Amino acid sequence: MWKSPMVIIIGIVVVLALWLGGVYNGMVRSGETVDTAWAQVETQYQRRFDLIPNLVAIVQGAMKQEQEIFIAIANARQGYAGARTVNEKVAAATQVESAFGRLLMIMENYPQLKSIDTMQTLLAQLEGTENRVSVERGRFNETVRDYNIKVKTFPNSVVASSFGFTPRIMFEAQSEAATAPKVAL
Amino acid sequence: MTRRIAVIKTFFVAGLLFLGSTALAYVSPGSPTGYVNDYARILTAEQKTTLEGQLREFDKTDSTQVSVVILQNLSGDYIENFAEKLFKEWGIGNREKDNGVLLLVSLDDRKLRIEVGYGLEGALPDATASAIIRNDITPLFKEGKYYEGVYGGVGAIMKAVKGEYVGVSQGGGLLRSISPDAAGILIFIGFIFLQWVIAILGRSKSWWLGGVLGGGIGAGAVWFNLFGLTFPFGLAVIGVLASLGLIFDYIVSRGYSKAIARGSRAPWWTGGGSSSGGGSSFGGFGGGSSGGGGASGDW
Repeated sequence: MWKSPMVIIIGIVVVLALWLGGVYNGMVRSGETVDTAWAQVETQYQRRFDLIPNLVAIVQGAMKQEQEIFIAIANARQGYAGARTVNEKVAAATQVESAFGRLLMIMENYPQLKSIDTMQTLLAQLEGTENRVSVERGRFNETVRDYNIKVKTFPNSVVASSFGFTPRIMFEAQSEAATAPKVAL
Repeated sequence: MTRRIAVIKTFFVAGLLFLGSTALAYVSPGSPTGYVNDYARILTAEQKTTLEGQLREFDKTDSTQVSVVILQNLSGDYIENFAEKLFKEWGIGNREKDNGVLLLVSLDDRKLRIEVGYGLEGALPDATASAIIRNDITPLFKEGKYYEGVYGGVGAIMKAVKGEYVGVSQGGGLLRSISPDAAGILIFIGFIFLQWVIAILGRSKSWWLGGVLGGGIGAGAVWFNLFGLTFPFGLAVIGVLASLGLIFDYIVSRGYSKAIARGSRAPWWTGGGSSSGGGSSFGGFGGGSSGGGGASGDW
């Protein structure tokens, strides 16, 4: 005898299993994309950190009365070296950024730095690095957005919570950036 | 120098600001019509042809793609963001080598940028790009000599990246002449595969095989979550593809039997078709990408 309810149940189970597998794989893949994008951001952070000592070495002599800022930069760099999780690193990188940003503002008070030859090259490298950081962070945010949409929307969210996929955190505008003075180009 | 520090500072201010809302005002200028795209119309036809010829020749010998884009304005965007987005959209450079360079000029903003693809960051580092802008381009731009500035800049860029990559030799295999890049080959293979499927479906008496095929492809796509769809939509996709397959099979089967009945040759799509290679016109860039490398300047 042909047991139709049985066949229907088996059919439903098979389709459900297929769907579950697809959703799970999709989330794993998105998660990997986010990790790759994060690695790119870290590469560019590293590049920035490698350049900062060069800049500091050049300007420190001319800026003897500004020791405080150099200490702040050194501390921030140490904080980044000690950071382990992504969120810690983001926080530490923000520290470096704000200290470094202050150094650049102070540098404007020292026009004599202009006469240093290597300064032009160094500034071009720093510009490039900062642009790369912002590009890679933008791309990282895009991958996080895709991933989060996958994890948060129904019915994927049910699968996500049972397999432990949690939403990732994006880079967001810093509150101090919102109040930063407008820089005239 | 104060200005250059200010440029870096804008990355901290602007960069952090736009991270929150990625809705920066990038407006695509459209598809590229060649290596030189002069939207502001400041180059004469002659000047454009000269530059275009140089860049096409360089692409042939070195496979490195250098594109010049001159805009009237950036519609409120930052030049760094605009350059990166445009580079990504057009895919300047080879997909594997990422050997593209974009020289972007915005007249009203009096800003320019050299955006360098990942694969050329070694040959054309930021400091070199910056030096090209400061020494070869902006002095001429200040005098209003835009063509001379662009020409000098392009020359310096080509000099810096010359020999970094080697072009594909001309007149190679058949496949190469039909499709200059991987995407072309893929399309070519897909086309052959499609003809093959059509030939089978057309010749087979069944009208349902196409439906089964369509459904199968749909199920496969949903399984690998190709469309990133949730379950109900996935089912709908399977349904739609199955019915499309049915219709497809019906049409090709009818077309085939009709042609046979008329005693004429079977329609072109039942097999033996051939595709013709592209002409000498510009076929787009190679899909390369950049990561924000390069330098900006103003005049």
